[in-house]
Amino acid sequence: MRLATALAACAIAGLVLAPAPWLVSDFALSLTLSCLMYVGLAVSWAMFSGATNYLSLATAAFFGIGAYVTAWGHGTLPYAVAVPLGGLAAALFAAAIGAAVLHLRGAYFAVITFGLGELVRHAITYGEKTWARTVGRVISDPPATETVYLVVLALALAAVATAAAVRASRFGLALAGVGSDEERARTLGVNTRLVKTGGFALAAFFAGALGAAVAVRWTYIEPASVFNPFIGFQTVLIAMVGGAHTLAGPIASAVVFSVLTELLRLQFPYAYLIVLGALLILLVLYLPGGLASLLERWKWRQRHA
Amino acid sequence: MGFWLELIASGLITGGIYALVAIGLNLQYGLMRIMNISHGEFLMLGAYLTWLAHTFAGVNPLAFLPVVALALFGAGLLVYRLCFRRIARTSPAVELIEARSLLVGFGLMYLVQNAAYLVWGADLRGYSFLAEPVEIMGARFTGNRLAAFGFAVAASLFLIAVLRWTLVGKAVRAMMQSPAGAQLVGIDTAVLHPVVFGAGLALAGVAGGLLSMVYEITPAMGEPYTVTALIVITLGGLGSAAGCLAGGLLLGVVEALGMHFTSPSLKMLLSYAVFIAVLLARPKGLFAR
Amino acid sequence: MPEPVLSARAVTVRFGGLVACDGVDLDVRAGELVGLIGPNGAGKTTFFHALSGVLAPDAGRLIVGGADLTGRPAHVFARHGVARTFQTPRVFRDMTALENVRFGMEFAGRSRVHAHDAFDDPQAILGFLGLGEAAAVPAGALTPARQRLLEIGMALAARPRVLLLDEVAAGLTHAELEASAALIRRVRDELGVAVVWIEHAVRVLMDQVERVAVLHQGRKIADGDPRAVARDPAVVEAYLGEEIEPQRLAA
Repeated sequence: MRLATALAACAIAGLVLAPAPWLVSDFALSLTLSCLMYVGLAVSWAMFSGATNYLSLATAAFFGIGAYVTAWGHGTLPYAVAVPLGGLAAALFAAAIGAAVLHLRGAYFAVITFGLGELVRHAITYGEKTWARTVGRVISDPPATETVYLVVLALALAAVATAAAVRASRFGLALAGVGSDEERARTLGVNTRLVKTGGFALAAFFAGALGAAVAVRWTYIEPASVFNPFIGFQTVLIAMVGGAHTLAGPIASAVVFSVLTELLRLQFPYAYLIVLGALLILLVLYLPGGLASLLERWKWRQRHA
Repeated sequence: MGFWLELIASGLITGGIYALVAIGLNLQYGLMRIMNISHGEFLMLGAYLTWLAHTFAGVNPLAFLPVVALALFGAGLLVYRLCFRRIARTSPAVELIEARSLLVGFGLMYLVQNAAYLVWGADLRGYSFLAEPVEIMGARFTGNRLAAFGFAVAASLFLIAVLRWTLVGKAVRAMMQSPAGAQLVGIDTAVLHPVVFGAGLALAGVAGGLLSMVYEITPAMGEPYTVTALIVITLGGLGSAAGCLAGGLLLGVVEALGMHFTSPSLKMLLSYAVFIAVLLARPKGLFAR
Repeated sequence: MPEPVLSARAVTVRFGGLVACDGVDLDVRAGELVGLIGPNGAGKTTFFHALSGVLAPDAGRLIVGGADLTGRPAHVFARHGVARTFQTPRVFRDMTALENVRFGMEFAGRSRVHAHDAFDDPQAILGFLGLGEAAAVPAGALTPARQRLLEIGMALAARPRVLLLDEVAAGLTHAELEASAALIRRVRDELGVAVVWIEHAVRVLMDQVERVAVLHQGRKIADGDPRAVARDPAVVEAYLGEEIEPQRLAA
């Protein structure tokens, strides 16, 4: 039932948001695009990391891999092929590293996923310099803004729908079991290794596809900008603030943060990040369940009043 | 002869700094499960404090090190009191302490780094100190690099000695092995945790002060050192200060050799490759039995 | 005699220099109710870890329903019909009691069938355990004693052919214990599920089982009828210095 509600909400959101390129200003469109991108990133991150408590800092790596699929394929691969291919490349990368590092837990897992992302960035930087004799790539003749917008919209909605479907499925139950007590889940018949690797790869697919889709908006692609750790941190922050174990929490907080970022980051770059840092600390200390936990607490009180 | 000595020694010099940064982080993680990803930012603060003292008051950077250590120790007590104490008290499981302290660490990183940008700007800052070359057995080093190496290793050895032979050091080691047992024999975490956290930041600050004599400094200088410190901890083993010293020196030499024989732009790639290889092959550290 | 459903052959588990299980043999047949006792540190729980695939033994073989599962991960053991509880109850704290039971049915229990369908409904299982009214309560909010019962329900939902119970009595009232013992007997009688039951309260256990095996310092020192085992000199020797006098074993 909840799944049906979520899917209906996705369909309605799609119908409402699809005509935006022909109705709103360029600035509002770019703002919406940014919101949608972070909705997709945060929801897919929470789908795996929120459920399993495996704190992945590899989002920037997946995103960057997707972006480079676009960059390398530019001129030969059509946009409609590059986007899913970017997602697949990221998912394959995630499955490969997941098989190797998903036995590590806690801070070690977080740090190694971050390290692997940096490794990919440095490897691409080095490879481009050595073999392609370039530090970045120019995207000439990108697809129309309307196309990019619709593709990102479709990806964000697909991420939400997938997350809703996963939550309602056996696969989602297995992920939650891993997050709660991995060994217990194993003794009840869950192949935790497979489940974790699959979940990690599925989340990576969306990050990679979004990277591939958005990359064409930048005229110049270089490792430092597409593997920007800020994208990864911002994703984690959004999901945690919203409540990583919920579906609606990350969506709401993605919208709030994207708007704030777009409005404030250019004018007050340092002050904005200082506030962001302080906010993250305060939230972890005083509201570790995210904003969604406030709502849950309120609902609980209503019921028990 | 001179060439090899120069190459290996330059690796050891960088490695000494790595060790100093890593020991503090390792103690914090080993004792409290706090993965303070903002460790390098406090190194950066140490560097800026030293630069300020030298540039505006003409203070000798080496003589200023105790002040830096004390200031960062104080900052550590404050940060522990404001952030990590609450996490330790309210988290039901060790895993949650790790995850939450990691996120708070990211918050601190944003906060401190961007505050530094706001105050000092993004320009490279530096000063000249003991810049004359010294010749040893046919190899040439600047005086400041030798001094940085000497002080880094001395500070690391001092800490290892403290851990091994003093009462506080024994308490810390007991606590790492068995928190419950240590509490039973009357070791007070309410004192020990903030003190060790502060000591970790003090070491980072000293490392920053030493670095400011050798390199130009920026608000972003700390981040790579955090990552390097994590690599060194992985090499040296969790909770082992002596392992950190050995791991730091080793990584410094590996980097120096690797960069010389391949290309300087491979430096980060090399360190990450070493890190990931060690973490996968020997997750308990190179020196674990 | 029928084929054993679970067969441990010379199972050895070492922790560094310590040998926690030293060449332990155990055959369990369908419908058997076997007690496993031993003084503190005898290796009972370690042996369970090996039987359920949580720990891979350093030597020996483990055969479940004719299939050699030595060295396979725990989920394979579960899918071959080995279900267990833990000494300190391990439930999914954020899920409701009902979801906890459903979990077992969705994974290990999915590809397996019980002899009949009395235990095929999560709500019915909760009812048998006296947890019927707690179905919607998050498992973490239950008392430890009730979490212990819930674990039995999770294990039953996995539709096992052998059930490994690591301490059931701790923290239960006499009535609750009677109820769960009755349930365990019923599972055994109606479904033919084999049960291996570790209990620290030896007397309680002796009343319930028809066969008991004794571990001491990692070795099996006795295996057979409870009355005979209680009089075994090696067993009496092992229990000397424990709080339970040997006379009471026989009582």
